[in-house]
Amino acid sequence: MVRVKSRYLLCEVNVSDRSRLLLLDDRAVAATVKAAVARIHGDYGAALCSIRFSVKYLNAHTGIVFLRFPKKCYRLLWSALPFITCIETRGQKISCFLNCLHVGGTMRTCQKFLIRYNTQQLHRMLPKCKNEEEKQQVQKAILNCSLTGRNKEAFEVESESEEDEEEE
Amino acid sequence: MRRADKEDEPAVYQRVVLKNASPYHYLKVCLVLEDESTRLSAVELKQFIVTGLNSLYGEVGAALTFDLLKYDEDTLTALLRVCSRGLVKLWSSLTLLGSYQNQACAFRVLQVSPFLLALTGNSRE
Repeated sequence: MVRVKSRYLLCEVNVSDRSRLLLLDDRAVAATVKAAVARIHGDYGAALCSIRFSVKYLNAHTGIVFLRFPKKCYRLLWSALPFITCIETRGQKISCFLNCLHVGGTMRTCQKFLIRYNTQQLHRMLPKCKNEEEKQQVQKAILNCSLTGRNKEAFEVESESEEDEEEE
Repeated sequence: MRRADKEDEPAVYQRVVLKNASPYHYLKVCLVLEDESTRLSAVELKQFIVTGLNSLYGEVGAALTFDLLKYDEDTLTALLRVCSRGLVKLWSSLTLLGSYQNQACAFRVLQVSPFLLALTGNSRE
């Protein structure tokens, strides 16, 4: 029927060293995106960005961020995202780039995609596991991934496995 | 046009309507400054218009290609050519350009046409 429609962009923040990733917070990411859009698309872009833009979800452990844009102009604002080179937060500059994984019409579809994507990443990590207990952990994490009432479990479990992967 | 028509009358009236008639649009603009005696060179004028596009449409707008075909320094009248898709962006940034080196200014758009020849005849004067 008559509904206000938005587009949710699922982006991944890639940094060179993962310890800096934990410093991210949603206001810093929002400010960076607005500044980039203002630089690339000028006053017109900044005005489009101010209507219904927000950072809906940010996971500092995995670097996943959900951005919401209005449906009319999401492609224009999307085109400014590759020009982001660093995110400034609390006086520190984290050099990074944003990788867009999925565009969805609602948060729920983005979440479903994210869970499928995370299970694929875990499947890819399984052959790389060096010892038996890591394999057990990864397999348990894969079995746990599902869209139930406890949605956040999927995200947290994925982050543990990824951190284990880094420690190797 | 049926074959029967063609055989009867050699010259048939045809009306051709072109939607996107020309790839370029031509604008005749005049810059009006607060201080009447300031003069700009052609390069300075183009740079000024590019800064206007930059402030309203950002880097992408400033990359819009337009040409300054003719420029009269004494009356500050210029003939601009822009791709038809960029006409709205250029015209709106000319409208919102307000100050040149701390003095108030305005761009008066005198004529716009997709055909250069149409700019020679002005029914307003």
